[in-house]
Amino acid sequence: MADDDALMHRFEKNARRFNARDAILTVFFAAFVLVLIQGNSMTRAGERLKPGLQRDVVLAVGKPAGWIADQLPLHTVAHDLTAGLSPDTQLSKEGGFDTPLQAGAGAANQVPLVTPDAFAPATIGAKPGPKVPLKTLLITGDSLSQPLDTELGRALAGGGVKVVRDAKLGSGISKTDIVDWGRLAVTQTKNDQPDAVIMFMGANEGFPMKGTNGKDMPCCSAAWASIYANRARQMMNTYRRGGRTHIYWLKIPAQRKPGRQAIARVVNAAITVAAQPWGNQVTVFDTNPTFTPGGKYRDAMDIGGKETIVRKSDGIHLNEAGSALLAKLMVAELRTGFDF
Amino acid sequence: MLFPTVQFAIFFPIVLAISWALMSRPALWKPFIVFASYVFYAGASWRFCLLLAGVTIGNQVAARLIAATEDERRRKRIVVAAVALDLFALGVFKYYSFFVESLGNGLDGIGLGMPLPLLTIALPVGISFFTFQAISYVVDVYRRQVEPSPTIDVALYLSFFPHLVAGPIVRAKEFLPQLLKPRDPKTVAVGAGIALIALGLVKKVVIADYLARSVVDPVFGVPQAYAAPDALLAAYAYTAQIYCDFSGYTDIAIGLALLMGYVFPQNFNSPYKATGFQDFWRRWHMTLSRFLRDFLYIPLGGNRGGKWFIYRNVMLTMLLGGLWHGAAWTFVIWGGMHGLYQVLERMWGGRITLPAWFRWFVTFHAIVLGWIVFRSQSLGQLGDFLARFAEPGSFTLLTVPVALAIGLTIGLQLVPTGLLQRAQLWFEGLRPLALGGGLAVLIVVVAATISSQGVAPFIYFSF
Repeated sequence: MADDDALMHRFEKNARRFNARDAILTVFFAAFVLVLIQGNSMTRAGERLKPGLQRDVVLAVGKPAGWIADQLPLHTVAHDLTAGLSPDTQLSKEGGFDTPLQAGAGAANQVPLVTPDAFAPATIGAKPGPKVPLKTLLITGDSLSQPLDTELGRALAGGGVKVVRDAKLGSGISKTDIVDWGRLAVTQTKNDQPDAVIMFMGANEGFPMKGTNGKDMPCCSAAWASIYANRARQMMNTYRRGGRTHIYWLKIPAQRKPGRQAIARVVNAAITVAAQPWGNQVTVFDTNPTFTPGGKYRDAMDIGGKETIVRKSDGIHLNEAGSALLAKLMVAELRTGFDF
Repeated sequence: MLFPTVQFAIFFPIVLAISWALMSRPALWKPFIVFASYVFYAGASWRFCLLLAGVTIGNQVAARLIAATEDERRRKRIVVAAVALDLFALGVFKYYSFFVESLGNGLDGIGLGMPLPLLTIALPVGISFFTFQAISYVVDVYRRQVEPSPTIDVALYLSFFPHLVAGPIVRAKEFLPQLLKPRDPKTVAVGAGIALIALGLVKKVVIADYLARSVVDPVFGVPQAYAAPDALLAAYAYTAQIYCDFSGYTDIAIGLALLMGYVFPQNFNSPYKATGFQDFWRRWHMTLSRFLRDFLYIPLGGNRGGKWFIYRNVMLTMLLGGLWHGAAWTFVIWGGMHGLYQVLERMWGGRITLPAWFRWFVTFHAIVLGWIVFRSQSLGQLGDFLARFAEPGSFTLLTVPVALAIGLTIGLQLVPTGLLQRAQLWFEGLRPLALGGGLAVLIVVVAATISSQGVAPFIYFSF
């Protein structure tokens, strides 16, 4: 045990010892300097948290800290000096959600025309178009898109398809603090030029969004759903690249908690409405019939004659087995329109 | 609550200040720290606090009952029951699905159905650590190495927030004596604490997360998309990542405890410098190694027997040590590999004399091979990854920062530490305002490297 005891005394050989006041002074001085330099990022961090005590406390501290930091130029200097270290993709300046849509915008206050793009061939009994090669597939979304992205990556490996995985954890269409999906869609489209996009998102929705009157609209009224649908439609329009890209937008399977189910229901409805102008370019893929028939949550289901857990313990995400099954379904769906 | 978050940056200064203000009054200080630790833990889920409280009360009752009797058979029965209950809690929350699925697969193979219901059970963060510490407490009381402590001390020992969720595994006999009298406010290792916190932040946020994003996650996620050079790079990158991730957490934990006046045992000692496998386990996750040695290997018989008996004990210890890391066969195989490494080392040790550099090379690459197994999420993924080594190609993910991150993490462990130690001692000797200002500037730089999605959870949180 001599060795073990020596481990416990290893700090006593150090030359300089401080007192408790020094410890507190050091930590509080560090906190003070951080407030001066980055006080405003505390507010942003607080706004990212889910409603609750932690969020309230962080915002209570963050707001005055942010005010102090805003009075000084230090955060700008620090930002400029460290900007090169950020791992985040530089997003396009176009397409952001920060400009609220005006009622009637884009339609010049007229009834918008229905175009042929609104009709998927199958819905009108027409022949499907010829299959096109699938060279690049973008799989994106929030944490729901993981591990679906890796499962799909493995399923398509060796088929000559470039699979781009770009999950933004903790993000959502109704919250733009982590990433503005309007801008991100423009950036992804420019960078990757995908032939197909698989979008699976909705684990972090339900946040208030600014309505046409500039006021925050809480979830989950028809007004909130319409804002969500407009944002989703804007993204679909970006991703479809004028018809050169096919989008597979996945609906959220039912979730365990009733509160989350309510949000998922509205999000799913908004996705369906958002996709209506481009029925032949946007496939809204409903995961509920497979994973949660009748909208009833379940942890496990029969896969290949064997009862298998398909959800993670949080009751939100699909686990590896569930994602592998969904990947199979998506590969089958991709094969209806693409050669690979 | 994660250490590198705004929530913790608010939580810790307040707790530190109140802690030292109350230090001279243990009757107030102890309940306060227990309360603060439970608030910290409730940041993950308040429901987990109930489990932590249950484990605390259960083991305290057992320790009291053990101490109340001199009847050795009764003492043994109680300690066995307490350890069994701890392992039951661990088994239900961590291993239930794994065992049920494995059993179901086995029974399916012989034509029988699934005997037990499938459930998704949330894994309470840190359960592997606090159940082991609870076991340490009752067993140390049973072995008469510590007296049963007041319940508030036991609650504090198990919940103390710096080590609660990912260790180091602090033995009862190491921590409980520190609670007997208030810490001396005149001798606080502030410099060492701040240096460790700073080092830990750099290791975790700058190096580990960068390597994960840039190389490890892409290649281990879809190995089929990469050829042999990238697979090799990912293996080295994960070797560096897991060290920086886990030792970074440990450094921060030890540093925080030091600022509060408490000393935790060392958990890492340049593990990639090891020139043998026993040497590696004396340097890697040292507190787990000691726990497994004292609570598993020695009770199994340790070195007291013939060589095959010792080999059996080594294999059993390492297999169970592997399983401790997670409910998956890849962890069992990883543990088995390290058991086999040690058995082979014992078989051949002393018979063959090899140069030190060669022993290091073989040890290091056997460890890297183990990390490939450890990182793979399934046997299928492991097979896919290993198959890439037969695929010719070129490096597509090798960049200067990646090479630097891997090279420095591994290389700095191999060079003499004199210069680094002198630099650390210089830093530790700075005045409080310089230390605080230095830490703040470092946090600003480190924060700039965090993606908008936040800091990835520590790898050992899930163990």
